[in-house]
Amino acid sequence: MSTEFSNETLEKDSSNTGLQIVKESEEDRLMTLSVGPQHPGSGHFRFTVKVDGDYIVHCDPDPGYVHRGEEKMCEYRNFIQNIPHLERPVIHDSNNITYSYSLAVEELTNIQVPRRGQFIRAIASELNRQVYTLYWLAIYGIFLGHSTMFMWPTGDRELFIDLLEMLTGARVTHAFNIPGGVRNDMPVGFSEKCLRNISYFEKRLVEYENIFYNNPLMRQRTEGVGLLTKEDAIKLGVTGSVLRASNTPYDIRKAEPYDVYNEIDFKVQYMKSSDCFARAYVPLLDMRESCYIMRQLLDKIPQSGEVRAKLQPNPKGPAGEAYRRVESGRGALGYYIISDGTPKPYRVKISVGSFRNMLALPHLLVGAKLADMPSIYWALNYWPVEADR
Amino acid sequence: MTSAGGFIKAIESGSKHLIIKRFTLRYPEKKLKLIGDGYQFDPKRVVFIAGYRVRHILFHDKCTGCQLCAIACEGIAEAIGMVKVDEKWKHNKKSIMPQIDFGKCVFCGLCVDACPFYALYMTDDYELSAFTKEHLIYTPAQLAVKPKYDGSVELKIDDRGATHG
Amino acid sequence: MASRGSRIVEFRFGNFVASLIWLILIVLIIVSLGALPLIFIVLFYAPLPPINGQVLTPYLFLSMMVDPTRTLPVVKFIMHTELFRVAVFPGFSFAAIFAAVTIFVERKFLAKMQLRVGPLYAGKIEGILQLIADGLKLISKEIIIPSGADKPIFWAAPIAFVAASAAVISLIPVAPGWVVSNTDVGLLAAFAILGFFPLIALLFSWASNSKYPFIGGLRALHQMIAFEIPFILSALSVVILSGSLNLTHIAAAQTPYWYIFFLPISAFVFFISSLAELERIPFDLPEAESEIVAGWLTETSGMIYGLLQLGTYIKLYALAALFVTLFLGGWAGPQIFPQVLGPPGPQSPLIQLLTLRPIYNPIIVNDVFWFSIKTFGIIMLMLLPRGINPRIRIDILLHTGWYKLIVLSFINMFIALALVYGGVFGPGGVLTPH
Repeated sequence: MSTEFSNETLEKDSSNTGLQIVKESEEDRLMTLSVGPQHPGSGHFRFTVKVDGDYIVHCDPDPGYVHRGEEKMCEYRNFIQNIPHLERPVIHDSNNITYSYSLAVEELTNIQVPRRGQFIRAIASELNRQVYTLYWLAIYGIFLGHSTMFMWPTGDRELFIDLLEMLTGARVTHAFNIPGGVRNDMPVGFSEKCLRNISYFEKRLVEYENIFYNNPLMRQRTEGVGLLTKEDAIKLGVTGSVLRASNTPYDIRKAEPYDVYNEIDFKVQYMKSSDCFARAYVPLLDMRESCYIMRQLLDKIPQSGEVRAKLQPNPKGPAGEAYRRVESGRGALGYYIISDGTPKPYRVKISVGSFRNMLALPHLLVGAKLADMPSIYWALNYWPVEADR
Repeated sequence: MTSAGGFIKAIESGSKHLIIKRFTLRYPEKKLKLIGDGYQFDPKRVVFIAGYRVRHILFHDKCTGCQLCAIACEGIAEAIGMVKVDEKWKHNKKSIMPQIDFGKCVFCGLCVDACPFYALYMTDDYELSAFTKEHLIYTPAQLAVKPKYDGSVELKIDDRGATHG
Repeated sequence: MASRGSRIVEFRFGNFVASLIWLILIVLIIVSLGALPLIFIVLFYAPLPPINGQVLTPYLFLSMMVDPTRTLPVVKFIMHTELFRVAVFPGFSFAAIFAAVTIFVERKFLAKMQLRVGPLYAGKIEGILQLIADGLKLISKEIIIPSGADKPIFWAAPIAFVAASAAVISLIPVAPGWVVSNTDVGLLAAFAILGFFPLIALLFSWASNSKYPFIGGLRALHQMIAFEIPFILSALSVVILSGSLNLTHIAAAQTPYWYIFFLPISAFVFFISSLAELERIPFDLPEAESEIVAGWLTETSGMIYGLLQLGTYIKLYALAALFVTLFLGGWAGPQIFPQVLGPPGPQSPLIQLLTLRPIYNPIIVNDVFWFSIKTFGIIMLMLLPRGINPRIRIDILLHTGWYKLIVLSFINMFIALALVYGGVFGPGGVLTPH
């Protein structure tokens, strides 16, 4: 299984627009396809595959199309001004990527978040997890050719986006978590609306199972495809639902609980089969579990209290470093922040789940059929913008 | 024949949706009802009120020209610039007020958080398109206008499905 | 406040009247200077038949157009010419109308299943004019031919596609006597024409000189060839029961009971094979959008794409009509149209004219009605898997086509043979119509 990323293949084949079968040698049998950014099956990401008939023999990921220098931009803004641009790498999962940042900054600057603020942060994080997973499921459906499975989750996202708009003030670009808590309190009537939407959504999950997960054609296409054994998964360092689909019950909310997650009782959902079907099914189980967690959070939230710690206009802390991780829709999202005593951080390093999962892409694609390429690629839960930061 | 059973269940699920109501919000004819009045600060309870964060509204009788909103936005989007206005207010000695460029604003609302005099709120007027970039720069006089937004469609869930309106 | 968008144009009655007058003037000029001379020239040189003992001169023809009592015999004469049958009914225009209605209904039907509205804004009622809008758009687009493409084949293949689809239509009987070509080997000819389609797909994809069409063309070839055999075998059971290859005879032979009651498995195999021939979901591998951009249609743009879509939907109508003819009794159905439209008995010529008595044939109208209803039902059934299934993979497709479907069609063929030898069908059988 070749995992080396060699650049010379790109230059050699970038002018190859047609087929040039001149001699029947080993190299000439292969056809290079560029699954590039202008392809309905790839997103803002490019990878070249070399195909021998219908089998892929070499894969070469080429990320970097959406690199914007997030980590460098952090060094020019203070801790609170960083929030709007840091949520942009995964804008539809923004509450998780700023959650981790806020936790790290609070550790650096010794801020204590009030309890009601912690609960609201967890509620927003769970809602965002649903939004992200539904979007992922929609695109997985369309990659397999199932247009209905594209429309239904995209419509059902509206249930949660509506709730988030009520809570945070914006449908997608929330900018809700800041170091010290959340920016505003829950409005009146939020809990009832949230419970009503969650009950309706749990019925919709049954429909998804009927038409997609139990559809024999989908099962034939995903069962047994792209096997990632437990040892390989741990060795490659994949995280999130991909890891949980390979028989490893690891969830950061249980392994290193942050905020109020040690008071919530939930089970880590995992599957044993380690193929594409498991990687597609674990997010559905995660969504069900997330509904269950939300009900507990709405039940246990203290009725009144502060949601935000009092801060100076430019918070700063002593020089030091902090590393915190959060379970986002794609896996472990960690921030490593070094501060030198000024209001602006010295260095921010973001460690995202997508980039780690991308390492499994050449490992899984080599030896697979070309028809399984979109299925394997998207089942790795890879979001190109986040991987490039 | 479990695969036949799977197919029959899928057909049944698909056909059931032919009688469920459609989910679409027919946008220009029907608009969503947005909760509240906009993102504001309640000085009595010293807390922010949740609301939809779009166009700002500037209360001229409270703004002192302290530039804290512009300083807050410098690190984010650089959308606020201070301009001289013709009005003379007692609390605004330099007669400067913010002008906001909505071509650059990301609607994060941190300027509202930064204003210490509760003079800048955000309202739910989101239909801000214009034909030229210069029309997107809102002067302080334009920012003082209270918006009229009348969306009335909500997401309703009943036993025949969820629907808008 | 920032500018709030467009100005509203007010309605001025004077401008409206002026534009109407301009329109009438331009129509008059075009008709008198262009259309009328053209009609005279065509009628002068076209060989017209004698009607009612008189030779049909152009002046007589035009005066007939104005005199309604003499128009209907002319219309009846035209309806029985070859050109009418090929071009209008039951030929190309009939199929094109079906195809157009199918495209629109498919979009609305899928939208309803997916909880959304389909096309909505073209046309006042729920987007009815969407197809015309799409057609206009495709006509006005530039046709881009990739460099290094094989130009003659690139231009000829879409036309050949539409021509082959139209050729299949010409074999299908809509009512007894109303078929474009009534050959004794109708069924065999249909399969022979259907064998052209893999060739056209492969030639077109090779002529596109690009990788994704190449892969798509090979997939189309594999798919269509793999499913031709179950196709033919399932139709063979029908031939065993009816004893003839002539499609009109097959449809007429199903008078007591339709063949679908005796050959349900064959009908199922035929249905699945026709889905694979048409490249519909779940069998749309040759155009798999997320894997190989658009398969063998990648390099098409503008009217070439329009022609290919037209050909695809006409083929859909053709295969659905073939299914109806073979298994559902063609045009059989209870007589629901009255003997005469309007009051019975001898009537004045005006009433006779208005109720279309010279050209109204209740049996034929009834047959056409039932045929259309059944074909439309089968088309809707072919549209249903699109909303329910994902795309199938090539090895599962070939496994299904070569193993499972051939076995199933053989089973039903044995049942058909048993019925013939058991005396139920065949010469002198219990259920054979005379």
